[in-house]
Amino acid sequence: MIDSLCCRSRLRDKNAGVKSAFALITLVICIAARSFPVSAVVFVTNGVLTVWKGKIPASSYVRLLLVPAAFLLAGMAVIIVNISDVPMDAFAIPAGRWYLTGSRHAVLEALELGGAAMASVTCLYFLALNTSVTDILGVLRALHCPSLLTELMMLIYRFIFLLMETASALMTAQEARLGNRNLRTGLRSFGMMGTALFLRSLKRANALYDAMEARCYDGEIRVLARKQPAEAGDILLTVLFEAALTGVMIWSRIR
Amino acid sequence: MTKKEKILLKASAAFAVLFAAAPVANAMHIMEGYLPAGYCIAWGVVCLPFLVAGFLSLKKKIKENRRNMTLIAMAGAFIFVISSLKIPAPTGSCSHMTGTGLGAILFGPAAVSILGIIVLLFQAILLAHGGLTTLGANTFSMAVAGPLVSFGIYKLCGKLKVNRKVSVFLAACLGDLFTYCVTSIQLALANPSEAGGVGASAVKFLGVFAPTQLPLAVIEGILTVVIVIGLETYAGPELRRIGFLPERSAGASADIAEGHGTEKGGAGK
Repeated sequence: MIDSLCCRSRLRDKNAGVKSAFALITLVICIAARSFPVSAVVFVTNGVLTVWKGKIPASSYVRLLLVPAAFLLAGMAVIIVNISDVPMDAFAIPAGRWYLTGSRHAVLEALELGGAAMASVTCLYFLALNTSVTDILGVLRALHCPSLLTELMMLIYRFIFLLMETASALMTAQEARLGNRNLRTGLRSFGMMGTALFLRSLKRANALYDAMEARCYDGEIRVLARKQPAEAGDILLTVLFEAALTGVMIWSRIR
Repeated sequence: MTKKEKILLKASAAFAVLFAAAPVANAMHIMEGYLPAGYCIAWGVVCLPFLVAGFLSLKKKIKENRRNMTLIAMAGAFIFVISSLKIPAPTGSCSHMTGTGLGAILFGPAAVSILGIIVLLFQAILLAHGGLTTLGANTFSMAVAGPLVSFGIYKLCGKLKVNRKVSVFLAACLGDLFTYCVTSIQLALANPSEAGGVGASAVKFLGVFAPTQLPLAVIEGILTVVIVIGLETYAGPELRRIGFLPERSAGASADIAEGHGTEKGGAGK
């Protein structure tokens, strides 16, 4: 999971608001522009920030970048390849009476889309790899997101790790008893694991509520956020970068 | 080798790579940055009424009994964990459940819309599945459309007195298929094909994702049946006490009690 990498990041103690603003504004510009120059700048900048400044291991970063690759390849293939009875200008492979064919315009469009998508993924990773979930929740709270939602998210985030641990213990036990011998037993085991997990999570939830009640829970969870004041330099750099990026976008539009 | 043969070879190699990478591909999350800005906003707006309805229903549930807070959070975490674990698939590759059908049957479509958007957000941040800008589109297909269909089918089958296993299977399986269709249409709307427009594009997207999604829907259906039947066997009282199965009428709960008895008898043998 990304979370464990995030704890190692050197940029972790920077102000979460600045990091989120940087990632989100860059993301929006990147999608709005959808052009090679903007995508290239964003891709390189985020790569440098995450791997060089944040000291996230390059191998993990590359592996993460490959996660959406299958989806992207399929998505681009669909845009490029048409089935038509008239061949188009980029390529045409005859298949019986029809052609698997595509136009130069579509190829260019698909490549631009691929570039923009990969660049946006680096924005997401910059945020995810350098900002802990608790900090992101702090930003949401500062943006006046309803407290019910932020509290729910905080609890869910905590529970995810509890349940993951339980699930992995259950699955190890099943594996040790040849529970995944073939597809049939595998499906059965997974279903039984789901049932047991659900039951245990209900018990955990009740126990947790009792514990919270014993500590004066009154419908609101108050947490002390660690203070990470925004540094003027970081804000300035972010503003400059976004301005430059907007410049590149306008330049690539009017070119 | 002629030029055409070379191209054919390259194309087939690319296709093979695609399917070698396919096991990594999860359920139908639209990746970050794939949709143009206008579509991101539009799908977010479409989701809004469902999210507001879900928010209000959760608020009411928590007001009724504060204990529901931890339970709802646990339900969200449960959906996340179930959808992030690898399940065995017939091709030997590994895929993930979506958990939408299960969530809709257990918690109702309103709660699932809010839990769904939170789970999708965490999947983007923690697992790199989906993204922030495509959150709206993904929420619509996975946390609104799919669960609504699942819940509708589940209710309908209940009315028609269809066998419980069959109805749960149909609800989860068809909900999953519907999610997959909606996602394909979302992708097609954003990328209409040059020859044939949105319709042709939708068919192409459906075709590309069919090899992974069709078996997955069947598996999702089977797993949901195993889990729901397991829960009704071992956790009937808990489920009813908590009110997660509010649709349970007296007759149906008798059905569970009976199932409980026979199951116990079976285990005793």
